[in-house]
Amino acid sequence: MIEFHLDPQSGVATYLQIVRQVKDALRLGTLDVGDQLPTVREVVADLAVNPNTVAKAYRELEHEGLVVARQGRGTFIAGTLAHASVEHHAELREAFERWLTAALRAGLDEESIRALVSTTLRESLARRVA
Amino acid sequence: MSPPPLVAHGLGKRFRRDWALRDLTLTIPKGAIVGLAGPNAAGKSTLLSLAAGLLAPSEGSISVLGDDPLRTPEVLAEIGYVAQGAPLYRSFRVADTIEYARRTNSRWDREIAVELLTRIDSRTKVGALSAGERARLALALALGKRPRLILLDEPFASLDPLACRELLQQLMDGVAELGATVVVASHVVADIQRVCDHIVLLSGGCVRLEGDVEELLESHRLLTGPRRPLGSIRGVREVVRERYSGRQLTLLAVTDGPIVDPSWTVEPVSLEELLLAYMAPERLPVVRKMERVQLRWHG
Amino acid sequence: MAWVTWRQHGSQALAAFGLLLALVVAAILTHLPIASAFDHDSLSACVPPAARAGCDIIVPHFENQFARIVTGMRVMVVLPVLAGLFVGAPLVARELEFGTYRFAWTQGVSRGRWLLSKTALLAAGTVLAAGAASLVVMWWRSPFDTLEGRIGPSGFDLEGVVVPAYALFALALGVLAGLVFRRTVAAMTATLVAFGATRFLVSDFVRPHFLAPLHKVISAMASSGVPGDWVLSNTLVDGGGRQITAAREELAVLHAQQAGIDPHTYILTLGWRRVISYQPAGRFWTFQLLEAGLFAALAVALVLASLWLVRRRPA
Repeated sequence: MIEFHLDPQSGVATYLQIVRQVKDALRLGTLDVGDQLPTVREVVADLAVNPNTVAKAYRELEHEGLVVARQGRGTFIAGTLAHASVEHHAELREAFERWLTAALRAGLDEESIRALVSTTLRESLARRVA
Repeated sequence: MSPPPLVAHGLGKRFRRDWALRDLTLTIPKGAIVGLAGPNAAGKSTLLSLAAGLLAPSEGSISVLGDDPLRTPEVLAEIGYVAQGAPLYRSFRVADTIEYARRTNSRWDREIAVELLTRIDSRTKVGALSAGERARLALALALGKRPRLILLDEPFASLDPLACRELLQQLMDGVAELGATVVVASHVVADIQRVCDHIVLLSGGCVRLEGDVEELLESHRLLTGPRRPLGSIRGVREVVRERYSGRQLTLLAVTDGPIVDPSWTVEPVSLEELLLAYMAPERLPVVRKMERVQLRWHG
Repeated sequence: MAWVTWRQHGSQALAAFGLLLALVVAAILTHLPIASAFDHDSLSACVPPAARAGCDIIVPHFENQFARIVTGMRVMVVLPVLAGLFVGAPLVARELEFGTYRFAWTQGVSRGRWLLSKTALLAAGTVLAAGAASLVVMWWRSPFDTLEGRIGPSGFDLEGVVVPAYALFALALGVLAGLVFRRTVAAMTATLVAFGATRFLVSDFVRPHFLAPLHKVISAMASSGVPGDWVLSNTLVDGGGRQITAAREELAVLHAQQAGIDPHTYILTLGWRRVISYQPAGRFWTFQLLEAGLFAALAVALVLASLWLVRRRPA
């Protein structure tokens, strides 16, 4: 069962954070079709957020076809997001960790690594689209 | 169509010669979790006391779920009210206090009440409880009535962060179960910001700002730019607050469209910033009838 | 509300019971010498209207013997006001002072019902306790009452149905004072003052006139009248019915002494008489009912005022 966390400083609306966390879990494979999401009461008792907010997030997910609400039973995952199959994640993670070791040895700090990663990602994706 | 949980119309309350509330008109939407914000002595406690039938209005009217709480005491069964400091009988044990509430309320749900009282021994005297435990007990008693309207007056004052979080968790859990409307008065915005979808800002006895939190945050922006004389700015409907520092000018503005002028840096506003701006003394309201503006602010 | 009242005032009930118990024990202990003296001197033969020779000596002797303890027993006159001070005054004042009214008055019971239920239950308890105390005092005072009567001020307000009525009045006074002054100590003070003033006014100015007093004219030298009656006034009047001032009386005595005759005999020859205005002993229960009724009516009025006030102006 997924556990949500809230970042009140992020400037992102609470319901959007919940939606994003469900989508991330779907992408990473930690949630699969048929899995049950926590009830509104469970989320609210854990996070201390407005129940309407949780309801809104679940409605949004239902609207996007990712979840379905079964009367009296709960809210369940109904769809998937296109993602690379999970087995590739392990090798990709290893390759990334090797690259990180090299970068750190070359003397880059965390901020520089982040900057390098985000600019390269952006430019690379832009090139592929063009 | 059931009546709104709380409606005030030209409500005023005077103590001796000072008006704690003056010409206050307000409607709380059903099912909302409303933050009643404002500095100390803004009139928040007075408003909640009037809603709970503990005070008589000096002028105007207040109705809760369609009834006057002073003249129709039956409506008290639908209101869960916790006063500031969670006053309870200190010599009573926790079990006695619950029994008291059970016997004086026709509708009583033991399950809801007891859920909140985990880790509290029912034989403890109320006077021996910590502030957090007493707040939880008072909330348990309020929720046990299965009320339709919950009124909390500064429930987080004198609670440590952990106790605050616990209280908020249990409040939200209770609200999720009951579908009640909630009005929480707090002078610390951070405590209520997490859960409120509607805000009412009181200062000096009148409403300075009121509305849906999301709408308010969407319609206000912080504009920063070089200091210059201000004309009208495309996209800005009204400037709420101007600040100067050196050569820089910062405006907090109500927007009605995108700001296209590139000389302005546009950023969203935090709720706390917004409330502080509307609380400023320069924004003392003129008592006049306002036409219904989309955002329902009183300025 | 019965549970609520018991839970909040149970300790007061226990205290009252303890007080009663102490009263009973003290009464029994102090009564023993009185009863034995009464029998020993065969004072039953001196109970009016019987009067045998020597009564006019042994009755005063008996009364003197126990004068101090009888006066001491008068302290029981404060019992009724305790209901006002310790039960009535804190009832509302305490809730207002400690802020617990914000809890008590926002549950499902209206303020009016809360006040009425509590007051009614406490009133019932007060009447019981005060009634019991009154019975104890009446039992204790019976030897003295048979000799001196009970309609007079020394015994009237300690016995009979007036005691519960005073207690009810004090309770109602305390409740209203608590509502008006909102602080327990201030309410207690106001209750004490108002109770004392009312009792004084009634006993000194109203009670003598419940029924028109009777009059009788007796010889100037006779003793004031039948024991057991409540003598309101006792004046010397001359043959024409005019009251004789103290100066005139002194002058007459002086004349007699100068003339060398017995002053008493001289006054008799002047034709002076004694006019007694009194309330007869037989009116005791009538007066009790009238005074009890008066205080009970006052109590009801005060309770109604409290209900009106708590509804209109809660806090």
